[in-house]
Amino acid sequence: MFSRREFIGTSGVLLAGASVPEWADAFQPSVTGDAVRAEVAEAALARAAQLGAAYADIRINRYRRESIATREQQVQSVSRSNSYGFGVRVLVNGAWGFAAANQVEPGAARAAAQQAVAIATASAPLATRKVVLAGADKVVTTWTSAFRRDPFEVPLETKIAFLLKLNQTALVPGVSFVSSQVLFADEQKYFASSEGSRITQRLVRTYPQFTTTAADRATGDFQTRGVVDRAKLLGYEYLEDYPWLADAEKAGHEVVEKLKSKPVSSGRYDIVVDPSQLFLAIHESVGHSTELDRALGYEANMAGTSFLKSTDAGTVRFGSNIVNLVGDRTQPGGLATTGYDDEGVKADRWHIVRDGMFVDWQTTRELAPLVGQAKSHGCLHSDSWASVPFPRMPNVSLQPAATEVTLDNLFADIKRGLFIEGRGVSSIDQQRYNFQFGGAVIREIRDGKLGAMVKDAAYQSRTPDFWASCDGVGGPATYQLWGTSADGKGEPGQTNAVSHGCPPARFRNITILNTAAV
Amino acid sequence: MLTRDDALKICEVVLAHAKAAGADDAQVSLNSSVESHARFADNRITTSGRAEDLDVTATVWVNRRRGSSTGNLSGVAALQQLAGDATQIARVSPVQREYIQTLGPLEYSADRGFAAASADVDVTARAKALDGVLATCRAAKVTAAGFHSARGLATAAATANGNRRFFQNSRAELSVTARTADGTGSGYFSGDHFDVARLDAQHIAEQAVGKAVRSRRPLPIEPGNYPVILEPQAVSDLIGFFTGAFDARTAEEGRSAFSAKDGKTHRGEAMFSERLNLYSDPMHPELPATPATDEGIPASRLSLVENGVIKNLRYSRYWAQEKQQAPTPGPVNYILESTGAPASMDAMITSMKRGLMISRFWYVRVVDPRTLVLTGLTRDGLWWVENGQIKNPVRNLRFNQSVLAMLAPWNVEAIGPAQRLAPYMVPALKLSSFTFTSTSDAI
Repeated sequence: MFSRREFIGTSGVLLAGASVPEWADAFQPSVTGDAVRAEVAEAALARAAQLGAAYADIRINRYRRESIATREQQVQSVSRSNSYGFGVRVLVNGAWGFAAANQVEPGAARAAAQQAVAIATASAPLATRKVVLAGADKVVTTWTSAFRRDPFEVPLETKIAFLLKLNQTALVPGVSFVSSQVLFADEQKYFASSEGSRITQRLVRTYPQFTTTAADRATGDFQTRGVVDRAKLLGYEYLEDYPWLADAEKAGHEVVEKLKSKPVSSGRYDIVVDPSQLFLAIHESVGHSTELDRALGYEANMAGTSFLKSTDAGTVRFGSNIVNLVGDRTQPGGLATTGYDDEGVKADRWHIVRDGMFVDWQTTRELAPLVGQAKSHGCLHSDSWASVPFPRMPNVSLQPAATEVTLDNLFADIKRGLFIEGRGVSSIDQQRYNFQFGGAVIREIRDGKLGAMVKDAAYQSRTPDFWASCDGVGGPATYQLWGTSADGKGEPGQTNAVSHGCPPARFRNITILNTAAV
Repeated sequence: MLTRDDALKICEVVLAHAKAAGADDAQVSLNSSVESHARFADNRITTSGRAEDLDVTATVWVNRRRGSSTGNLSGVAALQQLAGDATQIARVSPVQREYIQTLGPLEYSADRGFAAASADVDVTARAKALDGVLATCRAAKVTAAGFHSARGLATAAATANGNRRFFQNSRAELSVTARTADGTGSGYFSGDHFDVARLDAQHIAEQAVGKAVRSRRPLPIEPGNYPVILEPQAVSDLIGFFTGAFDARTAEEGRSAFSAKDGKTHRGEAMFSERLNLYSDPMHPELPATPATDEGIPASRLSLVENGVIKNLRYSRYWAQEKQQAPTPGPVNYILESTGAPASMDAMITSMKRGLMISRFWYVRVVDPRTLVLTGLTRDGLWWVENGQIKNPVRNLRFNQSVLAMLAPWNVEAIGPAQRLAPYMVPALKLSSFTFTSTSDAI
């Protein structure tokens, strides 16, 4: 928080020359920076212990972001932001307390620890089941996500030129508007716990996205084609290595074709879902239903519960026996990939669904003992130093077939079907049963061959039925990683970036709606 | 939370540094917040916390080139860096074609939506209130989950052309979900106010419990078109998609639900029930809002729908200049209400021959932006009404329904009194038809 003393002492004085900004200094690798964080952490942990906390931890995090937004051939905005602060979490009499502030200095850390203890103490009589944490290793280490080119070192002109070229390429005849954005995020995190862990991490993500629009002014009709889910845990090299311009041109042609396409006929179809859409179906129907906190009712007031009960692991069939889904916080490029979670547990990879059977949950140190597990899978996360860390989804990915199954192989025996690509509307109930998903581009499949584009289509199913109807998944060469950059959960609401890898997959006899005819 | 003097001093320092760095024009905006919350689930507190933060954004122009930088530190070196960073971005950015000079001095009404108690919650008093909520739920043998939150926010802005403004607001809310032990019933109720002292925790808990108990053991129902009564919560779950369409630029660019043929818009058309008004009013006694738009235009009452006719669309400063209009003094909140005497909930139920009563919607998304067809599901209370009486709970349903058609002249049968569910004041609505397309097993 703003220091009145500091401000009054300097207001009205313009400092001459360049000074080292606080934020730039804060996380530079230096003995001083490490020492400051260590001192702040020790102050908070010592105060918490002194006041009777059985456990305490602190996250001292800095978030640096840069975003550029354009439309057609103009730049709408270029913005940078920095946020630096800490959050202290304590356990007192089996109840959590949390306090956060933006002054990273020992006095503020002690005050926050005291506030957190006071909050926990006030809550403890109402915490009728006491929190017990699964064991965790003491870890002292540093971890950095894999990237080759720091986006914050790339000249702004280069980034703007990339977006304007992309827009120009997407503006094929018939396209009325194109908008594009790129966001770069740099998370620098320091974690310390009363159990002795001290972990410094840095994660760099690149979020490019664009949308084309075709509008027919005479009829008032319009269509859009968004490519918005390609963010990855990578640096600027992601914008240089991937053929974005080819995607942009394709999105331009697709939106023009979409405006002229015929509406879908409602009914039952066999569908093949491309990774660019299937990732979202996995996210909503598998990712959220296998969060243990939901099954235990922790999210009942907002995100909801789950159709799975906390006793279901190992006993309930989730899908057909070719369905294998893993939770994976180690997946290269994955938005939820990390070295250690926000309570210092090493990133894990584990089966959630094996051969169609639901076998395991997403867990944290608090949740794991509630299903008889000694170790957390490492799913604790907070979206800011100011947010209470809580269970968040790891990358959850569908495993490809062992052999090389191509997209054409999946189409081959379909008489009447649809091939669904990209993000459309998505909606699912609070226990993750009934869902309705659209697509950005949907084409007919006739007698095993891809046909014309159709519009106004959405597929609707029930999670267990949908995954039971899966009778084909693509091979390793068809596997792609897509991701959502702002998955909401919790109160106060927090966002999480998470990826889902998958091959295209085939589902039989699925209900298709014509959404323009309802 | 910062005081007016401290907040504006920070803005002045950033402005001065921006000028020294060579900016031709600049705006500084600042948010200073304190937020406290407690979550509960499984009839016990799960997490609770408090966070203070500050963000300061410098937006500057150099030769019509724009740069923006945000930080959360208030030391003078950080503020200088902020201004310098924004100026550096501006220097290497292309000319902003949509640049419009920052505002000069303007008069603003005093804000009315702030209570100091909401910004500095007494955690012991909160624990006592939540203890009452949990006791009510335990006594009814239901499992409670919920959220208590209170937040104070100070916002300030200053421009190189002399605009200065400072506002405070607060919001406290409590929501409770009660679920029955057999897993077949669930009820939700929430309340909010700018003053935490005005939250009636006991009333909120009792409403949630009542809905849970009355929604137990729902009977199957076929999807289809049904007459419906939407409780205010259900209306508030949909209305944001409607209010979001009142943007002049997207309508005039031919890509919104209010775009019409031949490049025109539906402004001036009687698209909705003549008994409906929709407007924004920062001075509304139940729902006071910041008396300035995000762009700093002084806010005043703004009619969006009057007697069912689209009266105004929102013009930003840039788009207003393009179209030689005045920027609209809002919206800063949304009040949907009946033009005449509102109908009571009892009157709506007794006048219904057969249909559904809906507590709440969930996971609502736009299926078709051209017609504002939305999809989503009912949740936490859905009942079958027959011959003027609530007969029995029914299973949840998925809907696909245009919100434009929902409010059409032929579809609105009755309108209740508007209730606060910030940022809206919304009534219960009795509608002739609502389209459900599939059933859901979810409770």
